[in-house]
Amino acid sequence: MPEPLLEVKGLVKHFPITLGVVRQKQVGAVRAVDGVDLALYPQETVGLVGESGCGKSTVTKVLMALEKPTAGQVLHHGKDVFSMSAKEQKQFRRSVQIIFQDPYTSLNPRMTVGDIVGEPWEIHPEVLPKKGRQAAVQDLLERVGLNPDFINRYPHQFSGGQRQRIGIARALALKPEVIVCDEPVSALDVSVQAQVVNLLGDLQQEFGLSYLFIAHDLSVVRHISDRVNVMYLGRIIESGTNEDVYERPAHPYTQALLSAVPSHDPAARGQKKRIVLQGDLPSPADPPTGCHFRTRCFKAQDVCAQEYPPLVDRGQGHPSACHFAEVVDVVPVEDAASAPDRVTSLRKTRGR
Amino acid sequence: MTTLPSPSPAVARAGGEHLLEVQGLSVEFRTPYGVVRAVRDVSYTLDRGETLAILGESGSGKSVSAQTIMGILESPPGHVTGGRILYHGQDMLTMPKDEQRKLRGPEISMVFQDALSALNPVFTVGAQIAEMFRAHRGASKKEGLEKAAELMDRVRIPNARGRLKDYPHQFSGGMRQRVMIAMALALDPTVLIADEPTTALDVTVQAQIMDLLQELQAENGMGVILITHDLGVVNEVADRVAVMYAGSIVETGLIDEVFSRPAHPYTVGLMSSIPRVDARDTRLTPIVGAPPNLARIPSGCAFHPRCPRAQDVCAVEAPALVEVAPGRRSACHFAEEVLSA
Repeated sequence: MPEPLLEVKGLVKHFPITLGVVRQKQVGAVRAVDGVDLALYPQETVGLVGESGCGKSTVTKVLMALEKPTAGQVLHHGKDVFSMSAKEQKQFRRSVQIIFQDPYTSLNPRMTVGDIVGEPWEIHPEVLPKKGRQAAVQDLLERVGLNPDFINRYPHQFSGGQRQRIGIARALALKPEVIVCDEPVSALDVSVQAQVVNLLGDLQQEFGLSYLFIAHDLSVVRHISDRVNVMYLGRIIESGTNEDVYERPAHPYTQALLSAVPSHDPAARGQKKRIVLQGDLPSPADPPTGCHFRTRCFKAQDVCAQEYPPLVDRGQGHPSACHFAEVVDVVPVEDAASAPDRVTSLRKTRGR
Repeated sequence: MTTLPSPSPAVARAGGEHLLEVQGLSVEFRTPYGVVRAVRDVSYTLDRGETLAILGESGSGKSVSAQTIMGILESPPGHVTGGRILYHGQDMLTMPKDEQRKLRGPEISMVFQDALSALNPVFTVGAQIAEMFRAHRGASKKEGLEKAAELMDRVRIPNARGRLKDYPHQFSGGMRQRVMIAMALALDPTVLIADEPTTALDVTVQAQIMDLLQELQAENGMGVILITHDLGVVNEVADRVAVMYAGSIVETGLIDEVFSRPAHPYTVGLMSSIPRVDARDTRLTPIVGAPPNLARIPSGCAFHPRCPRAQDVCAVEAPALVEVAPGRRSACHFAEEVLSA
């Protein structure tokens, strides 16, 4: 197996909760990330899914070296990012770029599109000589599906989908190896979402990029990812290939999550066994003992409160963090031939 | 709470009138940048016990018709320029204000998308739910709180009585949405308008809230208008759907029929642009371009600049929303071809 481009080992990030203005006594910690391992290999897309508050954005911040971890390492080509020299760190920042969720707040409203897309070269002038920059910006705009003549326009003159394309062009400017996509399509309309998802796929092929794709939308992650990690309250609870996680989910949380996604196919309605979880996500400042998910889990036993189940393969072919891991077929495999019959039978049974 | 039997839509229709009927409604916003025609000649009906989904992307005008029904359209700049809203056959738009007030709340109520901004942060949730009884039923503070506790229990807020004195910020997103639903259901309405009730929530919580709404609907047989952009949610809970684009309804019909055999190219485009969780497709087929600015709606059919089937006629003549199959309407010059494709 080739060496991973980017590797996260035992990552822990706690944010202190302090009391008092002057002395700032620490009274606790929000355990945003509590031991996460991830690896990203060349030209692959790794999905990281989880609901709000599970720590997925904190993972990206540490991964991008925007935050220092409480413990653990981020390795870039095997070298620890946080013990690198300033020069090496600059190189690291060049090769790992990010696309943000909100295309409205992530572009400076006072800068023209040309300045926004070209700004990375001001910081890393060695990538491109000053002379060719305007033409290079126009190339990039064209590559992401925007009219190159828009170079002197401002962000407010564009729609949400177009702005996200500007953000993508900016991320491409430094010819990175890795692009971290933090919920890149969740702010976009359905009809525009697909355009951006397709664009990301095309760019990956063309430039040989690796993506770490963070999202709460399981369908989009399934569409784009080669491998998928599911997070819950600061920990990865299931990890595997796309097929492993979506077709053979072993952790009760993954199963519940998949069963809760509404399908837009009338034939699939009512085919899924719905697992409706009780209650809400516990506070990461005071996570449950043992398995973090046990307070909402339909399989919880005494052992779950005492012992944290490590993320290992329990005979399902891929690792999951559950004492009682068991593959359940949540989403039925599509059988196109019988689909029309199912619609008619559903219609009969559905009449209220 | 009285449990009303929920007659099937067909029975209600035999009585000659719908629970709620919107006829040819047009709403525009007169802004300094021009007139935004947010709703253009929109008609739909709602019967007892039925769920009608209004599906559209942002800026399609899907919320504005609901705001008009609730009388919360901001005016100015918003103006109703035509149409009627009939509740049990009576036009709400021409009714005296105090008559309208007797309908809004007790008969028709609404759940909003963002519970944190829809609830008042400086009052306890108990007081806010109780206010419904105090304002409309003349209940005392104590009676109101008693009823509020019952309602919070009914929307399955754990330890309801103990949480009466909590403020909105002390609740999680899902619990806050339950508080909103409790308020909307306080006076046992016959019509509930839910405007993106689960968009701000995580999928596992979304499932809880949609289940709750369906259970409550089965209990009291109310008609529900569900406004959303999420095709999955529509498919799971709606009976009928009206698809909106650029301020107009482009297609209506029973959910199974519309989703399995769309009769408008926009619906076809929407269906093929979303990835599925239950199958892995290699490439999505998006709709080209972006939704139009409602201040500059394209001539003819508003969808023609993005439509793969557009012909010369589409840029000139706006297609009417006409019946293309029993119970199905589509506003496309080539609806027959789309339907048989």
